[in-house]
Amino acid sequence: MKKKFVYGLCFLTMVFMLALPVFAVAAEDTIKIGVTEPLSGTFKDIGERYLDGAEYAAQVINESGGLLGKKVEVIRIDSELKPDVATRKAQSLILRDGVKFFCGGTGSSVGAAMEQLAEKQNVIMFTYGMDAASMTGVKCNKNFFRPGGSTDGRSFALAQLIAKMKYKKVAIIAQDYSFGQEALAAFKKELAKISPNTKIVAELYHPAGTKDYGPYVSQIITAKPDVIFTPNWGNDLTLLLKQGRPMGMKQKVFSYYINDEVTIQALNDDKMMIGNMGAEIYTLSIPTKKNEAFVAKFYKDKGYYPTWLRGKAYIATMFWAEAVKKAGTTDVAAVIKAWEGLSYDGPAGVWTMRACDHQAQVPYWYTEIVAKTKYFKHAFEAPRGMASAKSVEVPCAETGCKMK
Amino acid sequence: MSDIPVFFLHGLAYAGLLFLVSSGLTLIFGMMNVLNFAHAAMYMVGAYLSYTIIMQLTGQFWMALMICPVILFIIGALVERFLLRRVHAQGHLGELLLTFGLAYIITELVKWYWGNYPLAVNVTGFLSGSITIFGFIYPIYRIFVFFSAVLVGGIMALILYKTRLGIILRASVNDSEMTNTLGVNVPLVFMGVFAFGTALSGFAGVIAGPFLSTFPGMAQEILIDAFVVIVVGGFGSLGGAVVAALLIGQLQSFGVLLIPKLSVALIYLLMAAVLIIKPSGLFGEES
Repeated sequence: MKKKFVYGLCFLTMVFMLALPVFAVAAEDTIKIGVTEPLSGTFKDIGERYLDGAEYAAQVINESGGLLGKKVEVIRIDSELKPDVATRKAQSLILRDGVKFFCGGTGSSVGAAMEQLAEKQNVIMFTYGMDAASMTGVKCNKNFFRPGGSTDGRSFALAQLIAKMKYKKVAIIAQDYSFGQEALAAFKKELAKISPNTKIVAELYHPAGTKDYGPYVSQIITAKPDVIFTPNWGNDLTLLLKQGRPMGMKQKVFSYYINDEVTIQALNDDKMMIGNMGAEIYTLSIPTKKNEAFVAKFYKDKGYYPTWLRGKAYIATMFWAEAVKKAGTTDVAAVIKAWEGLSYDGPAGVWTMRACDHQAQVPYWYTEIVAKTKYFKHAFEAPRGMASAKSVEVPCAETGCKMK
Repeated sequence: MSDIPVFFLHGLAYAGLLFLVSSGLTLIFGMMNVLNFAHAAMYMVGAYLSYTIIMQLTGQFWMALMICPVILFIIGALVERFLLRRVHAQGHLGELLLTFGLAYIITELVKWYWGNYPLAVNVTGFLSGSITIFGFIYPIYRIFVFFSAVLVGGIMALILYKTRLGIILRASVNDSEMTNTLGVNVPLVFMGVFAFGTALSGFAGVIAGPFLSTFPGMAQEILIDAFVVIVVGGFGSLGGAVVAALLIGQLQSFGVLLIPKLSVALIYLLMAAVLIIKPSGLFGEES
């Protein structure tokens, strides 16, 4: 008798515990979005800047009455930059709290794992910073969106810029893994198409995290290029310039992420940076009324500027909110349908979500590093025109994506 | 191929850095038989301290070069006296685990105090310039790195082989009981050796700051290379470390020029080859 009572009590407790999250959800009716970023470890500073942008988007939405009459609630997920950690945490949020929307910007490996999880659990994952082209290419699925850039777009835009500036000899250097190889392949392809007379005089690959760039820089110098193109980022960009400039590597460097304020600060030597150029989907210096208004409001609210990572996460999150608004419901299938073909006219121009591969078609904004701007104590970016979304478009048939 | 001398210089500069980092490691291993996993973390502390001294306090690179090794010497002495000596009785496993844990703790402390992002350490004046050699512009700092290594190696060799202190050191290693009986305070000698080895890592950290990047991953980055140097050179052999550093420096530099696809693997191939042919390393004593 007593035993039965204990069993019964246990059973009741379990039922109660299972029901509890449901009560919690019902009590606090919000639209939850899980932001997966590395919030600890080496890449923490990148993850935190992305998170800041996504949280600011939620703040702006909530200030103006929320989404579908509900508040947007950002749930921070520390991915630790590990695919298994990110998916485990996301899985429990899906099952326990019924979270239907996820986003993130750091680590294409994390993104690819989240992409699979999204399909399996029928939730939506979107990214604004995971750039590997394959995620909206061969790995694409209907639950994954990229309101952001890709290696293809960036390389095309920079190849066009170099062709437009009539440089004849280019040295290209990249980290020796899929990201760097894809970036250089796309660059070479575009350059051969639009400016067959421009020669690649050196093509170098180095391990990510190389310490001594001397032997690479010497080869660049010997090849006598007019300019240098590299998709390098972080320390690999810093050291290329830090060690290359004193060796007489004077050429302009065209790089994916030249306007990263942390890289510029880590160099702490502005003359190594001035004159370098980049192409980015969002930069502080985009000369449009919408962007100026956004930057001014952000600065007023926060006391600092929405530099590139923050801006990208902000715009992508606002774009997602537009899709939810258009769907009129948080039903996943309805939001997917609403987002396909939708355009969002934000601070970085018009972004259009293509239905065939869920890759947003976005313009790329050129920047050049100049000695003085109002934004930063170091040399920083100034606007230098843009490449239209149309000009960097990869045709649907060439992406390798077969949307189910 | 007119640029071959430049690649030779690159090799020398990198060899200099490698030797500076691994000299303390090989000294501690050679004298005390302790494989110090925290060595690279100490090197990182040296680099971060130099940031504080150069960029925040004095603006003087030379000041950092003098002060940092002293601070690291004190840290090294404390670690030996209060931590390492206590686990010494448990043998190598205890020492290994202790220094391994210490490396993690130091890394976290550095992140906590200095932050989790790269810091810039810039040299100014003479060292920041470049000169023209063989018709190529070459940074003076790279040459400075090499000559600092020559200086450190020279001083170490002088102390070890030409002074009374050196005789005591070598005697303590060979037969510590006998040396103890002769009236030498052997525990004090070991504390000094560990402290000096740690000071060397601090010196290397200061030198590395303006050459590489000062960031929380810098310790792990250099640790593997330093271990390769002492494995190839022969555990604990100073001369071996010199030769191994020079070899790896040139291999790295010319590897990138001649066989770029294999350049990363080259130093590990060298290590494997040495381990197969002479497992004790190029200059190691056969046991």
